[in-house]
Amino acid sequence: MKKHYIILVGLVLLGIVYPQMFPGYLSVAITLLLYAGWATAWDILGGWAGQVSLGHASFVGLGAYFVAVGTAHHDIAPWWSILMALVAAAMLAYLWGSLTFKLKGPYFTLSTIAIAEILRLIAINEGWLTGGATGVFIMTLPEPFGLDLFSRQVNYYLALAFAAFTVLIVMLISRSKFGYQLRAVREDEDSAMASGINPTTVKLKAFMISGALTALGGGIYAIFLSFIEPHTIFYLLLSVQIALTAIIGGRGTIWGPCVGALLIVGSGEIFRTMFAEANMLIYGLLIMVVVMFLPRGIVGEPARYLLRRAYAKRAQG
Amino acid sequence: MPSALKADGITVTFGGVVAVDNVSLDVEQGKILGLIGPNGAGKTTLFNALTGFVTPQGGRIHLHGEEITHLPPYMRTRAGMGRTFQTERPFEELTLLENVLVAAFLKEPKRKHAERLAMEVLEKVGLADRHDQPALDLNLARRRRLELAKALAVQPSVLFLDEVMAGLNPPALKEMIGFVRRLADQNLTIVMVEHIMEAIIELSDHVIVMANGSVITEGLPRDVIQDPRVIAVYLGED
Repeated sequence: MKKHYIILVGLVLLGIVYPQMFPGYLSVAITLLLYAGWATAWDILGGWAGQVSLGHASFVGLGAYFVAVGTAHHDIAPWWSILMALVAAAMLAYLWGSLTFKLKGPYFTLSTIAIAEILRLIAINEGWLTGGATGVFIMTLPEPFGLDLFSRQVNYYLALAFAAFTVLIVMLISRSKFGYQLRAVREDEDSAMASGINPTTVKLKAFMISGALTALGGGIYAIFLSFIEPHTIFYLLLSVQIALTAIIGGRGTIWGPCVGALLIVGSGEIFRTMFAEANMLIYGLLIMVVVMFLPRGIVGEPARYLLRRAYAKRAQG
Repeated sequence: MPSALKADGITVTFGGVVAVDNVSLDVEQGKILGLIGPNGAGKTTLFNALTGFVTPQGGRIHLHGEEITHLPPYMRTRAGMGRTFQTERPFEELTLLENVLVAAFLKEPKRKHAERLAMEVLEKVGLADRHDQPALDLNLARRRRLELAKALAVQPSVLFLDEVMAGLNPPALKEMIGFVRRLADQNLTIVMVEHIMEAIIELSDHVIVMANGSVITEGLPRDVIQDPRVIAVYLGED
């Protein structure tokens, strides 16, 4: 476990000096860090608790809208609106979870698609609240400690802090009682109940933490874009991408979602410039390779292999 | 001795089929109740009704004098029930230690303490040397023992064993019988569904024989197996 903390500290240090080394590649890095954070947050529910969501764009959107509408329409500082977004996201997760966790497997997944769709329709139709279909511009932002929140550099460090914080939360969960309850519920709900675990409560907690963390990234996303509109932010493809990032990297592993983000955002960037629209082909191929040869994901398979080998080595003395 | 588990008039129906028909039982603390009967007699359904995995249409269940009839399974575990599953259900992606740790966390919320408890239980069932093996890789006999370890790690006062002896070879069977005996000697109350007569006769303080959802007879193990009605349901009537 210690090694994970060392890796995290090392990566954060690397992340801190990155803007000095590659000042021209800040936007890609911000996207990568946001996806790493979102996929890690998604994985708390989708990987550790085994409840696949295809509605996490809802939480991204919730965070983004709170921040954008807060500053543009109500003059609320982003740090306050992000806090409100976290509470709203946790409440949404609680409500949705209470309604749908009786559904199992694919039915829960299908139901999550509806959340983002409902929020998208609200965002389009309730213009007084959300700015409607035309979206919201962030024109001015406060300058805490003289920091310009519009600068790429500041956006980058916010995204870095978000990704690192999310990974840290998952690292803490993975070793805790709660982390084992999540895994137990994922593996077998009846057997978990026989161990005194209430599966619904455990899934609800996971959904709330996952949703709130995703909304946190959404708030940073809004500042980074400084313009949001319902069609792009409550987009099913965004939900799918978040889920795929975690699945390709390795569900239920600490580093899987980050590796997935590196691969998907990184390769996306390279292939988009090389093949334009055909980059979706690469995307499809990547998914097929993982599904066929690495069903536990890029990090999941080797992690499992190492676990088995460690036992075999010890058992042979 | 006070009653540890008491059930009155348990009835379970699935659609129009009566799987368990008005069954009552009472087990004193530290005693072993054996539940036998041919396949389809309703043993496992009764077992699931007692542990909360099936909702009975009628009847009441008391654990140490407290009514638990309407509690969900995880609340019954917290109230002192531990159970195994007939088809073992390990958390396959987890190691043996982690499997037992999940259950150990119930009474020991601190990881260090829970881990120590889990190791002790693994030691008891003879799996300690495999604590870091993924559960998916276990053979049947060891999966059984892991199942038992998970049930014990919640530190139950009443333990439900669903055919833990089935499929074991003679030395493993002897070992398991000795193990269950020692559990009862430590004042654990045990309800066991079992097909292995040797285990039932050696262990049970009281035996209930079921057929077609009802109790056909009950009593001391030696008396019960000589009962012509019991022989009839097992071997068929002339």
